[in-house]
Amino acid sequence: MSTQTGIALSAAQVSKVVDGPDGQLTILDGVALAVPRGDSLAIVGASGSGKTTLLGLLAGLDRPTTGSITLAGTRLDTLDEEARARLRRRLVGFVFQSFHLLPALNAEENVMLPLDLDGRDDAREHAGEALARVGLGARRHHYPHQLSGGEQQRVALARAFVHGPEILFADEPTGNLDQRTGAVVGDLLFALNREHATTLVLVTHDATLATRCARNLHLREGRIVEAAA
Amino acid sequence: MKTFAFAARSLRREFRHAELATLAAALVLAVAALAAVATLASRVERAIVASAAELIGGDLGIGASKALPPAFVEEARRRGLATNRLADFPSVVFAGDKSRLCDVRASDAAFPLRGAFTVLDAHGIEHPAHAPPVGAIDADHAVLVALEVAIGAHVQLGGREVVLGGEIGKSPDSGNLFRLAPRVLMNLADAEASGLLGPGSRAHYRLLVAGDEGSVAAFAAWAKPKLPDGAEITTVEDAQQNLRNAFERGESFLRLAALLAALLSGVAVALAAQRFARRKVEEVALLRCLGASRGEIVSALVLELALLALPACLVGLTLGLALQQIVLGLASGLLPGATPRLPWGPPLAAFAVGLAVLFGFALPPLLRLRDVEPMRVFRHDLGARVRRFDVLYLLPVAVGASLVLIGAGNLRLAATLAIGFAGVGLATSVLGLVLLKIVRSVAGRLRGALRFGLANLARRRALTLLQAGALALSLTALALLGVVGPSLLERWRANLPPDTPNWFLINLQPEQRAPMQQRLHALGATNLNLLPLAVGKLVAINGRAPDAAGFTDRRTRSAINGEVRVSWSDTLPAANKLLEGRWFSTRTTRPELSVDRMWADMFHLKPGDILTLRVGEREIEATITSIRGVDWDSFRANFFLMLDPASGATLPHSFVASFHLQGDASQSLAALSRDYPNISLIDLNAILDRVRDIIGRVTRAVSWVLGFSLLAGVLVLVAALAVTADDRRFEAALLRTLGAHGRQLSIAVLSEFAVLGLLAGAIAVVGAGALGSVLATSVFKLAGYSPPFAALTGLVAAAALIVALAGWIGTLRIARTSPMAVLRRG
Ligand SMILES: Nc1ncnc2c1ncn2[C@@H]1O[C@H](COP(=O)(O)OP(=O)(O)O)[C@@H](O)[C@H]1O
Ligand SMILES: [Mg+2]
Repeated sequence: MSTQTGIALSAAQVSKVVDGPDGQLTILDGVALAVPRGDSLAIVGASGSGKTTLLGLLAGLDRPTTGSITLAGTRLDTLDEEARARLRRRLVGFVFQSFHLLPALNAEENVMLPLDLDGRDDAREHAGEALARVGLGARRHHYPHQLSGGEQQRVALARAFVHGPEILFADEPTGNLDQRTGAVVGDLLFALNREHATTLVLVTHDATLATRCARNLHLREGRIVEAAA
Repeated sequence: MKTFAFAARSLRREFRHAELATLAAALVLAVAALAAVATLASRVERAIVASAAELIGGDLGIGASKALPPAFVEEARRRGLATNRLADFPSVVFAGDKSRLCDVRASDAAFPLRGAFTVLDAHGIEHPAHAPPVGAIDADHAVLVALEVAIGAHVQLGGREVVLGGEIGKSPDSGNLFRLAPRVLMNLADAEASGLLGPGSRAHYRLLVAGDEGSVAAFAAWAKPKLPDGAEITTVEDAQQNLRNAFERGESFLRLAALLAALLSGVAVALAAQRFARRKVEEVALLRCLGASRGEIVSALVLELALLALPACLVGLTLGLALQQIVLGLASGLLPGATPRLPWGPPLAAFAVGLAVLFGFALPPLLRLRDVEPMRVFRHDLGARVRRFDVLYLLPVAVGASLVLIGAGNLRLAATLAIGFAGVGLATSVLGLVLLKIVRSVAGRLRGALRFGLANLARRRALTLLQAGALALSLTALALLGVVGPSLLERWRANLPPDTPNWFLINLQPEQRAPMQQRLHALGATNLNLLPLAVGKLVAINGRAPDAAGFTDRRTRSAINGEVRVSWSDTLPAANKLLEGRWFSTRTTRPELSVDRMWADMFHLKPGDILTLRVGEREIEATITSIRGVDWDSFRANFFLMLDPASGATLPHSFVASFHLQGDASQSLAALSRDYPNISLIDLNAILDRVRDIIGRVTRAVSWVLGFSLLAGVLVLVAALAVTADDRRFEAALLRTLGAHGRQLSIAVLSEFAVLGLLAGAIAVVGAGALGSVLATSVFKLAGYSPPFAALTGLVAAAALIVALAGWIGTLRIARTSPMAVLRRG
């Protein structure tokens, strides 16, 4: 296992209740977990089991109905949206199933985004390096619609790591890709994760991807049914 | 965050690729329409003012009962203004044993400052002229007839012998209908030397100035506090009533058209912004996810908007100015006289209004983006949730309302439009909701494409209502511009039919009435109106003598200080309308009075009030029993005050007649005035021509402006259609992947738009018709207007058809592209 230099992320008694058309609906119920710094965790489960909801809560995109979440030593559930946004900017990277590159920006500009948001002057330089690292140095000026799915996801990976986040959240990063491309993207994800010594939280259907994580967490109907090392 | 760099980058890319271009186009057109319309309106307006200036003979006049101190002339000259000094007084002209009382005008050589003055020489040839030289006069034809002299004859005036140099042809300042005597024009130096202006003379002095607008205004400001007692400033606005009506009406038309263009552009911008904001949701969610704060999101959006707005407004401005120049070039003769300089106010205002329209109408949907939740990157339906009421929604309403208020420059027009458009919007929401309920239940029983199309409407309820509202408003505006406007103009022109009285005859004695009537009939006079006239003084209102000092209105003061004219008639005269009370009963024993609305307002009179009038030696106490509305545009002999016939007949009186005579009537009328030397004939042809001329010019200018505003309306239609175009394209692509035929897609889209178009069209017909009727009576004061519902229905049906076709053509494009491409992008 990775060296235990502290806990990057922890959750206790986290539940999420939303208003559905037929009254209240409990999506998550009493979830607890802890991810050591530099560790990797895969959240697996059937579609609709609450994986994305949990990921969103852990990353501070939303607030839990009950329970507490601590990210890099800061309690997320007591912070307001603006404070969480500041925290995300510094500490968190994202990879999405549907890439979410801004269609209006070219590859380089998309990768620059996190640095731009932080007001850094060396954004272009770092973005160029990050793109080169994912093998797209020559495609800097291409726009998302000029890139294949796999290439778009590689740009997204460059964007996720460019500002050196402490923890990376990935929601089905290979879900929209064919198996071969998915494998390439998966390799790249884990390689970057190692290089940056980033803590990784990964939601996936892909069994092989999940097994590459140090730990797996099974969700069923919003509850943890099995946590496997 | 590097907000500026980010905003600039977004703008660059988004502009080349998608929606912002629509927003910019809407803005360019908004500013172009406004700049063109407002500039054109202002230039036409100024040209009309200049033409009205001819009627007072200058851009500004100062009237006084004594000659003005020389300081006034010096000051005007110092400011670079041209000046003309005049004195008007009655005097008798003699030739042998004949004499004639004349209205004499003594003027320095500068006459006329504005307008054309022509004289006919001995050969009857007309040429432009100035005031006659010392020792000569020009006179009306009536003087030559009365004195039985020809041009070149010597006559006596003010105890001196002068040469009759010419016969007065056209003359500016011919606006006074009640000039009692024919005109004579002489040199001011002659009048001063002859003692005609000495103590005891009843001369009315005037100083006229002309020059550029700024200097005239500055001179007026300088002169106002220094005016001697009894002196008054006359401006162009005080010019003759008929002309003023024509002018105000024309101005209202132009303002209406410009206003509609501005509002339409606002709607276009709002719709484009709505669409843009919907597109931006994904991006904002991602930025929020990556840690951008709300403040950064908002400032980036505002910045992007500003970066777009400034160049778009500049392009619009250039385009608008070019367009109005083209219109001026194409519609030659649109402006009377020289084209006024390009004014800077209206284009700058258009620029400012463009920015106000953009931020007023586009900011609300964009600012709402700050509420986009970061979780939306995972769940696309999150942002679509209906939000509670937001104060931001008041912004476009406020901007729209201030546009109406400022643009209308007239509270009536503003209120009518605001209430009208609010009514159309409300009706659309209410009827739209009802219709959607019906559609929802009907759609379930239909099949295939038709069901899909109608179900779409019901599913996108908020968007459907927005779209229907925008369509209804723009169709209403289109109908106002395309049908109601022109028909109102037509009604206005019809106000002066060909048989409008062009001659007045005054001072006819009671015993001459019957023979004159026969004589006029023999001459072929039509539209003859003969009424008694008694001239007197207003002595008391409800027993108290009115005090001129208590009224600021010039007309009210002159009614108190000067003469009042009274007439009477068994029946309500034509061009009069009973507004309050009843016309005189034949059995009345006490004197009764009917008062014109304007006069009643001036003195705050109501039925039951008692006026005391003195005519000659007689005083009469009459009770007001009715209030009349008089159509002063009719050019008939009309009166503010009318007595019951029994009381009127006891007063000393003469008769006045108004009638129409076709063609050149000078020979026969000359004979008439020889046979009845006591009567005076007043030629109204000049002023009629002037009014007709102004109506003609204004209607031509308005037609152009209306046409241009129509373009703005079309843009709104396009923008309204584009609101759901993205959705529809995506759905169509989806349906095609599921195997739908092009025909089925067309049916779905056509059914959707037919329902929308029908709803909006029906509301627009009713709305435009109702607005037209209210505008006709309350703003344009045009009696007897009824909106052309057939033409309205035709126009709106055509527009609805175009709406449906445009929607259909939009989907044809999808049929040609691969559905995969669309799906991948969505
Ligand atoms: N805001 C919400 N409102 C209503 N239902 C929600 C909301 N968020 C998630 N859900 C529901 O909660 C369940 C879990 O969703 P999600 O976390 O997306 O599952 P997974 O990612 O495991 O497929 C689903 O049934 C989803 O429909
Ligand atoms: Mg999911």
